[in-house]
Amino acid sequence: MVIVEIILSLLIALGAGVFLVGLSRKVIARIHRRYGPPIYQPVIDVVRLFTQQSISHGVLFDLGVVLSLAGSLVTVLFIPLGGICPLCSSGGLLVVIYLMLFAPLGLALGAGASDNPNASIGVSRKMLLALAYELPLLLVLLSVMSHYRTVSIVEIVAQQQQGWWGAVPLPLSAIAAFLILPAMLGIRPFDLVSAPQEISLGPMVEYGGRYLALITLQGAVHLFVVIALFVNLFLGGGANVGTFLVKVLAVFLAGVCVHAVMPRVRIEDAVKFCWKWPAALAVLQMIIIVLWSSQ
Amino acid sequence: MPTEVILIAAFGGAGLVYAAGRFSAALRNVLVVAVSVLLIGLVALSYGQARENTYYLGFLGLDLVLRHDALSWFFALCVSVVGAASLVFSLGYIGRSGNVNFYYFCMLLVTAAMLGIVLSGDLLSLFIFWEIMSWSAYLLISHKRGRALQAAMKYIVMSLIGSCAMLLGVLALCNAYGTLTLSKLAEAMGSADGGFLLFVLVTFGIGFGVKAAMVPLHTWLPDAHSEAPSPFSAVLSGVLIKMGIYGFILVMYAVVGLKLVLGLGTGWLNFHSVLCWLAAVTIVIPTFVAMLQTDAKRLLAWSSIGQIGYIVLGLAFGTTLGVAGATFHTLNHAFFKAVLFLSVGVVEYKTGGVRDLNQLGGLARRMPVTFACALIGGLGLIGVPLTGGFVSKWLIYKTLIAEGHPFLALAALIGTWGAILYIYKLLHNVFLGQLPERYAQMERPALSMTLPLVVLGAAVVFMGVLPGIPLRAVGAIVTSLGVGSFAATAGGFGPELGPLNTVNICFAAVALLILVTVVLRLAAKARRVPQTDTYAAGAFVPTGKYHHTVGFYEPLERMVKPYLRDRIDALYTWTAEVGRGLFDRIRRIYTGDVRNYVMYIVGLLALLIFVQLVWKMW
Repeated sequence: MVIVEIILSLLIALGAGVFLVGLSRKVIARIHRRYGPPIYQPVIDVVRLFTQQSISHGVLFDLGVVLSLAGSLVTVLFIPLGGICPLCSSGGLLVVIYLMLFAPLGLALGAGASDNPNASIGVSRKMLLALAYELPLLLVLLSVMSHYRTVSIVEIVAQQQQGWWGAVPLPLSAIAAFLILPAMLGIRPFDLVSAPQEISLGPMVEYGGRYLALITLQGAVHLFVVIALFVNLFLGGGANVGTFLVKVLAVFLAGVCVHAVMPRVRIEDAVKFCWKWPAALAVLQMIIIVLWSSQ
Repeated sequence: MPTEVILIAAFGGAGLVYAAGRFSAALRNVLVVAVSVLLIGLVALSYGQARENTYYLGFLGLDLVLRHDALSWFFALCVSVVGAASLVFSLGYIGRSGNVNFYYFCMLLVTAAMLGIVLSGDLLSLFIFWEIMSWSAYLLISHKRGRALQAAMKYIVMSLIGSCAMLLGVLALCNAYGTLTLSKLAEAMGSADGGFLLFVLVTFGIGFGVKAAMVPLHTWLPDAHSEAPSPFSAVLSGVLIKMGIYGFILVMYAVVGLKLVLGLGTGWLNFHSVLCWLAAVTIVIPTFVAMLQTDAKRLLAWSSIGQIGYIVLGLAFGTTLGVAGATFHTLNHAFFKAVLFLSVGVVEYKTGGVRDLNQLGGLARRMPVTFACALIGGLGLIGVPLTGGFVSKWLIYKTLIAEGHPFLALAALIGTWGAILYIYKLLHNVFLGQLPERYAQMERPALSMTLPLVVLGAAVVFMGVLPGIPLRAVGAIVTSLGVGSFAATAGGFGPELGPLNTVNICFAAVALLILVTVVLRLAAKARRVPQTDTYAAGAFVPTGKYHHTVGFYEPLERMVKPYLRDRIDALYTWTAEVGRGLFDRIRRIYTGDVRNYVMYIVGLLALLIFVQLVWKMW
C-alpha cells in the first residue's frame, strides 16, 4: 500500500511539474502577445535530450545531477498531496525543509566538478539567494509551526480543514511567503542564478543531453514541491488530489504573471529585498503569535 | 573496570610514550596507537556502571573522589575516540621533525587530563585535572612557534582568568558546605539561597564559558584553533571545548539541579533565559563571521563557536528533549568537527601548509577519500538528514518550537542556513573547481591519515541512520540528571514526540538514488572530457590564469562586513594594553637605587606614625 502511494505521489509530482512548466511557457507567451510552444513541449524536450550525446566531467559531475533529482523526489514523499502522503509519519516540516537542501547541494557539487567561471558565479549567487530567502521563509515556517503547535504537516493541514485556511489567521506570513515564492522557484525577478543571457544557466552551464533532461525534471519537481508546500501551509491543503492540484495551479499562475512582467534584479538587491519586506512582515506576524500565545 | 585503571593507563601511557621515544621512534609510534586504542577499550568496557570511589588521601581535609556514571562515560568515550583518531592521524602529520616526543606526550597528557575531568567525583580533583588540561593545551597550541606563540598566550591568559573564577566558586562552595564531593554538594545545595546560587553559577559559568568559547568569552578560540597543529585542532574543537559543556551540565544539572536553576531570577530576567539568549547570539554572529573567513581552519574555528551555541541553547532551555539534543549534539559535533579539521589537516600537510581558501581548489581529484569524508562531516555540521547532526539539531528545534519560543528557534535555524554557506565555501574552494597546476601531480595521502577520517565519517552517518543506538546512552544521561525521560526508537521517535524515522528516510533516499542512477545509465552515453574543456558562451577563458572562487561571497561580504567587527576582542585587547601600561608604571618604582628604597621605607614609616597619631588605630 505504501509502495503504491509512493509511486502515485512521484507520478503526480512529475506529471504536474512538467505540465506546469509547459503551461508557464504558453501563459508567458500569451502575456507577451506571442503564440508560444505547445503545452507538451517539455515532454518533447526531455525525450529528445535523453537520446542526445552529452559530455561529462567525471563521477562528481554525474553524482551531482543524481543527488539533485533524487533529493527533490524524496521531498515529495513527505508532503501531503491532498490525502496522499506515503512517508508523512517519518518526518514533518523540519525534515522537509532539510530535504529541500539536497537539490541545490547536488547541483552545486556537480557545478564544482568543472572549471567553468559561469558555474562558479551561479553557485555563489544560488547560495546567497538561498540565504536571502531562507530568513523570511524560516520566519514564516516557524510562525506556522508555532501557531499550530506542531511540526507535522499532516496535522497542520488537518487543523486547517476543520477551521480557517492558514492564510486567514496568518495573513502576514502568507503574504511574505508569496513575496519570496519567485526567489524559491528561481523565476523573475529572482532568476539571477540561471540568468541565461548573462551567465548561460549558471550551475547548469556544463550539463547537456541526459543530464539536462534530468535537471529539467528536477526543476519541474522542485516547482511542484515549493508550491505544494505553500498550498499545504496557507491554502488548507486539499481534501482530495483534485482540489489540491487546482490550488497548486492557481498559485502557480499567480507566480507566472509576476514572472512574465518583471525584469531581473541584481543579487545585492535580491538579498536586500528579501531581508526587508518579506522578513519584516514575517517578523511582525511572529511577534503577534508570541504575544497572543503568552496571554 | 575500576575507574582508576583508566586514569592510570592514560597518564602512565603518556609517560611511557615519552620514555620510549627516547630510544626508538618506531616503538613510540606503536605505543601511541596501542595506548589510544587501549583507552577506547577500557572506556567502552565500563559502559553502564554507576559508582563513586573515595580515596582517603586527606588533602586539606577533603576527600578525593572518582566517579563513574552515564554522563562521565559518554564524555569519556568522546574524549578517547577523538583522541585516538587524532593520535593516529598525527603519525603521518607530525612526521619526524621537531620535538615529536614532547608532542605525543602532551597529546596523551591532554587526553588523560580530560578523562580525569569527566571521571573526577569532587571539584578539587576536577580543578587539578582542569589545570593539567589547560597547560598541556597551551604547550600544544604553541607547538609550531611563530604566530602560534601569540595565539597560545591569548589562550592561556583567558584560560587562567576562567580558572581563577572557577577557583573562587570552588572555594565558596568549600567554605559554605565543607565538602567538595559532587554527590554531597548536590544534597546540600537544595537549601542554598538565590544570591549564593547565582554567584556559584556565574563563577563556574565564566570558567566553563571560557573553555567552551561562549560569546562573549570566545576571543581566544579563532587564533588558537587555526594556529595549533591540525590533529590537535581536532581535539581542541572536538572535545576540549566540550569540557566546558561537561562542566555546565555538571554544575547546572548534577550539582545545583534544574529546579533551582529555572527558579533563579525575577520575572523576565532570569538566569536560564539570559543563558538562552547568550547562546542564540553565540549561534548567529560567529556563523556570519565564519562565512567571511579565507583561512580554512579559521573558518572551522568560528563555526565551532556557533555549534557550541546550539549545545548551550539546548542545555539552558532545560527540557528533556533540549538537554537530550544538546548532549547528542556534543557527540555529533565532536565527530564531524574532528573529521573536518583532520581533512583540512590532510590538505595542509599535502600542500605544504596552505590553508588559504583562495589558493586551493580541485583537490577532490587528488584525494577523493578525504573529500568524501569532508563532505560527510560538512553535511553533519549543516545537519542534513542521515547524518547525526540532523537528529540532535532536530531535537533542539523541536523543543524550542513546541515550547513556544520561535525567536530562539529562528536563531538556531539561521545558524544552520549560514552553516550551509560557509561549509560549501570550504568544500568548494578546497576540493572543487579548478585544480591548480602545482597540485596536479600530488600523491594520495597515507592510510594513517585517511583511516581516522573514514572511521569518524562512518560514525557520523551511522548516528544519522540509526540514532536510536546513541540516543540510548543519551537517554540514560537525561534520566540520571533528573530532567525526565524519553522513548527513542531505532530510527528516531514515535508519533508522540513528533514524527521522525530516519530509517525510512534512508530507505527512500537510497531507493530513489538507485532509480535515478538507473535512468541516467539507460540514456545515451556521455563523452568524458577534461575539466578545462568548458563552454564559456563564446567568451575566451584562459586556463590556469584565473581562480574563479576568490571572493566567493563578495556581494554578501560588502553588505554584512561593517556589522561584524569583533568589538569584544578589541575591548579585551584594549583592557590588556591599559593593564600593561598601568603595571609598567608601577614597575618603575623598582629603580634599583638603594637611596630610593630607603626613601620608600622612611615614607612608609612616616605614614604609619601619622596614622597612629591621628586615629590611634593600634
